[in-house]
Amino acid sequence: MSEDLKKSPMDRRKFFRTCGAILAGGSVLGTVGAVASKLKVSGADVFWQIDPFTCTQCGRCETDCILPVSAVKCFHANKVCGYCDLCGGYYRPSVKDLNTAAENLMCPTGAITRKFVEEPYFEYTIDEDLCNGCGKCVKGCTSFGNGSLFLQVQQDLCLKCNECNIAKVCPADAIKRVSQDEAYMLKDHA
Amino acid sequence: MKQKIYRNIAIVTAIFMLVVAIMLGFSYYQMQKVSPLQTDVMETLKQMNESQSDNSELQQQIRELDLIARKAYFVQEHQLKTGTMILIGMAVALCICLNLYYKETKNLPEKDMDPIDDWMAKSKARKYIQWGAVGLMLAGVAYLVLSNVSLGSKDGSTPEEELLAEAGGDEAAVAAAGDSIAVEEVDSVQTADEASDSLPIPKLTYNAFRGNNSSASSAARNIPTSWDLKAKKNVLWQSAIPKHGYNSPVVNGRNVYLTGADNSARELYCFDVYTGELKWTAKADKISGSPSTMPKVNADTGLAASTVATNGKQVCAIFATGDVLCVDTEGKRLWAKNLGLPDNHYGYASSLLIYGNELIIQYQNNSNAKIMALNVANGNQMWSISPKDKIAWSSPIIATLGGKPALVVMGNPAVAAYNPSNGAELWRVDCMSGEVGSSPASSGGVVFAASEYAKCIAIDGASGETLWEVSDYLPECSSLAATSNLVFCATSYGMVCAYDAKTGEVKKEHDLSTPFYSSPVIVEGKVYLFSNSGKAYVFSASDFSLLNAFETGEKTFATPAFTDEMMIVRTDKSLYCVKKG
Amino acid sequence: MIVARFPKPDFSSGYEYPDIVHPAPYEQLWNWIDIFLLVALMGVVAWAAHKKHSRAAIVGVSLFSLAYFGFYRSGCVCSVGSIQNVVLALTDSGYQLPLYVLLLFVLPIIFTMIFGRVFCAGVCPLGALQEIVNVRNFRMSRAVTSALSVIPWIYLAFTILYAATRSQFLICKFDPFIGIFRLGGDVGMIVFGVLLLLLSIFVGRPFCRFLCPYGALLSIFGSLSWKKVEVTRKECINCTLCHMACPVDAIRPPYANKVKEDRLAGVKRIVMYAVLLPVVTALCALLIGSGSDALSRAHKDVYLYDLIQQVEANPEMDIPLEVETFNGLGRNVEDLRTEVEAIQHDYKVYSYLIGALIGLVLSVKLIKLSTKRTRKTYEIDDANCLACGKCFNYCPQEIKKK
Repeated sequence: MSEDLKKSPMDRRKFFRTCGAILAGGSVLGTVGAVASKLKVSGADVFWQIDPFTCTQCGRCETDCILPVSAVKCFHANKVCGYCDLCGGYYRPSVKDLNTAAENLMCPTGAITRKFVEEPYFEYTIDEDLCNGCGKCVKGCTSFGNGSLFLQVQQDLCLKCNECNIAKVCPADAIKRVSQDEAYMLKDHA
Repeated sequence: MKQKIYRNIAIVTAIFMLVVAIMLGFSYYQMQKVSPLQTDVMETLKQMNESQSDNSELQQQIRELDLIARKAYFVQEHQLKTGTMILIGMAVALCICLNLYYKETKNLPEKDMDPIDDWMAKSKARKYIQWGAVGLMLAGVAYLVLSNVSLGSKDGSTPEEELLAEAGGDEAAVAAAGDSIAVEEVDSVQTADEASDSLPIPKLTYNAFRGNNSSASSAARNIPTSWDLKAKKNVLWQSAIPKHGYNSPVVNGRNVYLTGADNSARELYCFDVYTGELKWTAKADKISGSPSTMPKVNADTGLAASTVATNGKQVCAIFATGDVLCVDTEGKRLWAKNLGLPDNHYGYASSLLIYGNELIIQYQNNSNAKIMALNVANGNQMWSISPKDKIAWSSPIIATLGGKPALVVMGNPAVAAYNPSNGAELWRVDCMSGEVGSSPASSGGVVFAASEYAKCIAIDGASGETLWEVSDYLPECSSLAATSNLVFCATSYGMVCAYDAKTGEVKKEHDLSTPFYSSPVIVEGKVYLFSNSGKAYVFSASDFSLLNAFETGEKTFATPAFTDEMMIVRTDKSLYCVKKG
Repeated sequence: MIVARFPKPDFSSGYEYPDIVHPAPYEQLWNWIDIFLLVALMGVVAWAAHKKHSRAAIVGVSLFSLAYFGFYRSGCVCSVGSIQNVVLALTDSGYQLPLYVLLLFVLPIIFTMIFGRVFCAGVCPLGALQEIVNVRNFRMSRAVTSALSVIPWIYLAFTILYAATRSQFLICKFDPFIGIFRLGGDVGMIVFGVLLLLLSIFVGRPFCRFLCPYGALLSIFGSLSWKKVEVTRKECINCTLCHMACPVDAIRPPYANKVKEDRLAGVKRIVMYAVLLPVVTALCALLIGSGSDALSRAHKDVYLYDLIQQVEANPEMDIPLEVETFNGLGRNVEDLRTEVEAIQHDYKVYSYLIGALIGLVLSVKLIKLSTKRTRKTYEIDDANCLACGKCFNYCPQEIKKK
């Protein structure tokens, strides 16, 4: 004990540092251990995706994504819809002439196109480059039609922010972290 | 020399960057502000186009504007992108120049270095930290104290304010009760002079399920006691109703209101009381929050079981989706909202009631059983209470109890009275059980309530004291009607009876062997009642003797509506008007 | 779940559904490339700082990391932000922490324990960006910088609070440089980032020193690292050049401890702070703990409940979208209230915890600032040294060697 005291201050400091290092190392190991034991730390990555069944098409996907044009796009479940000529997602609610003039279409960017298949069916295609994720067509479709149009995060555009900016403001809490195998929540399969 | 060049390049780049940054900022601000693709102008123009008949000029204008907007959007986007790139490039240049400029002048001590007094610095740092921490803590404490003080003062002032408000409200209510109950049948008739023909606007109103205040009575006179639908005897008109519904018609002025719904649409109809012509249809669609999937409902309840309510200016309807729609007498939507999908295994069925400027909704579902009042003018909630009651399908009434109007609600397990202006509970009697679908009645300050799975009870309206209880015959869907002497009751197993209002003793009973869902209404000393099969019964209201009974030929589940010399009956598929002549 | 208002089509013309393939997310491979590069770059910095004594290699790493981690991979998930994922994983059993995020969190710490803060030197894109733009140092008063170094700890404390209560990722929300890496995002934060960058032209690493919570964490491990960064292995000639060069003021000049103060007074001060430590800790815990209800409004559900209360109290107000959606989805206010109560309880617990943490940090800082130390030569303060290597190019002994 008395020998310890006689040691030079440098040695004493070194001794404290060693103790500190052991302590810090221990605490890191402890934290890692706690995390590891509390979790099956999964090798899989997580992605953000919209649950189309809870989505209320509030329009915030368009405005709140950190990308200049939102990574949220409109998808169309071909097998779900009846393709009527007067489509609530394609035309504005009180449309007069069923043509593609600006005053008649629901989509503000003209991203939805359709092709006549056979009476009375149409095939709808969405140009993802034009779609800005505003969800107007989805709202129209869910209110008047089968709900075959729905919003999804397009995964190759999504930057996978650590916390999704849209999820923070989504009033319906429809945006969740999902695993790779359910990177899309499509209505076709539901 | 070289240094100077670097310095000058750096300065020029910095100035350029500043200019570009300002421009970019401005451009961004503009883009944020106008968001070219969704200008209000565009939306207004589109709406104008929709409300007008073909206006090719306007359409042309929209198309041009749309094109310009898109161009502007892409040009601006392009500008923003290029600007950012230029900015980054310049930043790199600036960094390089600055580095080169300072390269030779390393961070050398320009003059003899001041020896840093380590201890002095530490002491100062300690001081800063201490003061900073104390300052932050004080700020925190001040914030906490202030927020608590404001809370405290709020708490302190509320009781007095509430008392004042209550007193004021009650006075007003008493004053109103004095004249409104006497003249209410006349005063709220719409005065709009819309009658193109010379027919008078009926003066009597029948504003809700079972009449004004849901009182199960009407002051109508000269109502026939027999009619024949096929021979059109004593029948003024008969019209088809577009969509099915179990709700009952209400009448105000020349308008008869009722609703119908199926999985594709929910609609409020207005018929002309003299002609039976469908004047307009208001759709309860595009209501934000409205479920896209229709809730599962029992076929006996349907999506439109709730009767509408009106006050002569506004007409309000509610559907099993939880959608509330309010329109004016022309059918123009004033407001609409969704109250949240009712968790109801049969389907939401309680009817609406308007009291003053309040639309009262008994919203008692499996989860979240509430009674609420919305401002009938704008749909904003005025008050809402969540009494400890379970699901019920009963409808509220306004009764005069102890000289004041009171909201009487029959739920499970309580029959309770509330102050209709703020929802404050006046009394509560736990006496019901099972599925409560029947609605209460009131006469002479006494509340009568009965339900098949419980009992029939009479409650003193002033004290909330139980006067008597019996369980001889009990209604399931049909509601009670009461005079000062008798309480009328129709059951779903074919028995109808009249209880003594004072004792509960059965004064008279009839075994009619046909189920009743429709409710009895007291008119002109007579009780009108329809069986499900469509048989009409007319009883004397003084001794409950059967005056007349005959088949109308159409299934009837709704309760009829009465106005000047006319009775409006909704059958399974149609609506008809009974009038002498 | 799907409403079938209209029947599904039945084609007679033999129409086939188009085959739509939705683009798959980024390959997971990238995550592992990130981890590999993280280790490799930290290794390079360690080699450059300890063995080679070369600044050039570290600048090279900075440029690469800025280009790759910053601009190409656009910054997410980073080691700084991974604190939140780890905290969230510890408190939220529903959240699965991806392995590579855990590695992002742990690897820099392990490297720091061995080689000092080599991660901060230039592997972290946030640090690299500030490092690259820094051209000259105008030294700030040591007293002020020491006092300001408390801020990262407070930031860290609140980050833990908000991540543990599943409210928000504060670090991500207030990341000043992510907007620059992505060339877009929240304008306010981009402006803040640009201002920080302008500042870092003349003041070394303002974000790392006065804000970065991960840096605060690493400073502990840095001061305890096994191998210390040295300006030169040769004898120090006390020329003060390295001290002038250091962008983060981590080189302490020689100091003859000639304080006039009585030794006993100094000991008394330390003892006082040591005694005050539990008091300050308790005080801070109490203070923040009692403010937990106000803090809890950062949680979406608490905020929503608050809005609902407001709407009920004031029916005239416009119904906010959140409340409208809440009603529209038929959610139950009572359920929400129980949920909110649970959240507020969580907040209470964690607020006490982080309050205690803040109090502890303050006290320890004060105790550290009360110690007197004599130095004969220029010494590196390992807690603050970011291993950027700037001093190597200044030291005459090193230059001579080359």
